[in-house]
Amino acid sequence: MIGASLSRWTMSYFAAAIVALITALGLMTAGYGYPHAPVDAPPTLIIVHLVAIGWLSLLMCGALFQFVPVLIARPLANEQLPLPALICLLLGLFSLLCGFLWLDGGIDTTLPFFPMAATLLGLGFALVVWGLAHTLLTGRPLPLSARFVAVALAGVALTATLGIIFALVRGGIVAEPHLVDLTVAGVPIHAIAGLGGWLTFAAMGVSYRLLAMFMLAPELDRRGSRLALHLGSCALALAIIGGAVAICLEWSRNLMLLAAGLPGLAALAFYGRDMLHLYRARKRRIIELNARMATFAFASLGLAVMLVIALLALGRLQEQVAAVVFLVAFGWLSGLGLGKLYKIVAFLTWLECYGPVLGKKPTPRVQDLVIEKRAQKWFYLYFIAVWLGTAALLWGRPLVFQTMTLAMLVATLGIVVQLVRIRRLADVKVDDRFPADTRRPALLHAAVQGI
Amino acid sequence: MTVEETDELVHKVREALRLVIDPELGDNIIELGLVYYVGVQEGGVASIVMTTTTRGCPATNYLKNGARDGAWAVPGIEFVDVSLTYEPQWTPQMMTPEARTRLGIA
Repeated sequence: MIGASLSRWTMSYFAAAIVALITALGLMTAGYGYPHAPVDAPPTLIIVHLVAIGWLSLLMCGALFQFVPVLIARPLANEQLPLPALICLLLGLFSLLCGFLWLDGGIDTTLPFFPMAATLLGLGFALVVWGLAHTLLTGRPLPLSARFVAVALAGVALTATLGIIFALVRGGIVAEPHLVDLTVAGVPIHAIAGLGGWLTFAAMGVSYRLLAMFMLAPELDRRGSRLALHLGSCALALAIIGGAVAICLEWSRNLMLLAAGLPGLAALAFYGRDMLHLYRARKRRIIELNARMATFAFASLGLAVMLVIALLALGRLQEQVAAVVFLVAFGWLSGLGLGKLYKIVAFLTWLECYGPVLGKKPTPRVQDLVIEKRAQKWFYLYFIAVWLGTAALLWGRPLVFQTMTLAMLVATLGIVVQLVRIRRLADVKVDDRFPADTRRPALLHAAVQGI
Repeated sequence: MTVEETDELVHKVREALRLVIDPELGDNIIELGLVYYVGVQEGGVASIVMTTTTRGCPATNYLKNGARDGAWAVPGIEFVDVSLTYEPQWTPQMMTPEARTRLGIA
């Protein structure tokens, strides 16, 4: 088979991810976690993991199960893995959140939450990495975008390994001094591995291909693109492996992270130049909402980089790191994710409903499933709220921050309503909606039929 | 079959393929230039050589099956063979000028 087919469980990953995002935004709006609690307090850790694992990782896993086959033009190697992986990840996340609640005194039982979380999340991510890496191996030599995803899989494996170590130490299972040191001082490395190595690298890889595909731009594999990959990989190796070794050998962790920052910065500069080139070289003059909103996500990434440089120069990075993490997680990763979700849900829903009758009956276009004008205002509100929320964190205004997370929650709900309408085909003209032999797609999973 | 009859069937098959749209671009595969060759041999055997806008597109199998079903619906066509190729790779320049204008493509 040349090409890829519909991933049955991608919609389920997306649905679970959206529930996690809405829950996290609801908690932040209610004043739970940072800035009302310290950065390392259990309530903050609950929100951080709801966002990082529940929202961003599930979103990325669901997207990769669908799009890794597209990147390499090969089918998914193990189609039976996504569902057990999803179940393990959800149960593991639930155990982890219970563990943090237990640390906070919110749960009064003696269940081994952290070891359970370590086992289930470890197993879930191992299944994801195995399934995707196995698929990538069938597509060698890998195109550039797939090589970014391969590095991202190494990133998630390292993030999960560090997370498992932290969970076992916190759960009292492990007391080896080096691992205890790593748990105490390794949180920034865990965050860099997760947000940078796993999520940002995967987003970079997917964006190289999807933006070119959706805007009819030439696919890039030039010297600068390869430099972005190699310098970025070098930065991650220095930050994650170098950082962990530095902690264990009692060298300077921060010096190692600073050394990683230079190639990291260069990688992002090359990547930014490539994205700009994709937009300039596109054949589609009028671009869709997802590509327009991606520019706001790229702007957020650029702002985050400038913010890190400015805070480093002012010597205030440590105290303001939460604002940077917020901008990266919600402006860059979530902004790009929500924009692409709007496109991908419409595309996959079209394939599922109308693909089997192609050639037999007249079918609507993917664009007929969406009303971009209606969705656009929610995206604008979302990005403005993220940027003002970042400013509120920087200037220490918790109430303004809560108001902005409320605006983000409202915007997210607005976007989710549009996604449900797409899935229900509610915006397709009634006469064109269900040609004979088609059926309404289920909301939470895809029925793979007729291919 | 005479040459005229063959040409007539080829024309009908090409017309039938207009029912198959590329979901992303929203125009039919003939106007988009995704169909490289249509031939009809003795016994109503149709051969279609086509491509997709991008290699690995998730719609690939649907487009291929859609072309097969569309051609099969033509009276006189008894068997359809659809093959995919990426040589040459599709470019927007392969679209008809009308389709390019319709889709706002430079």
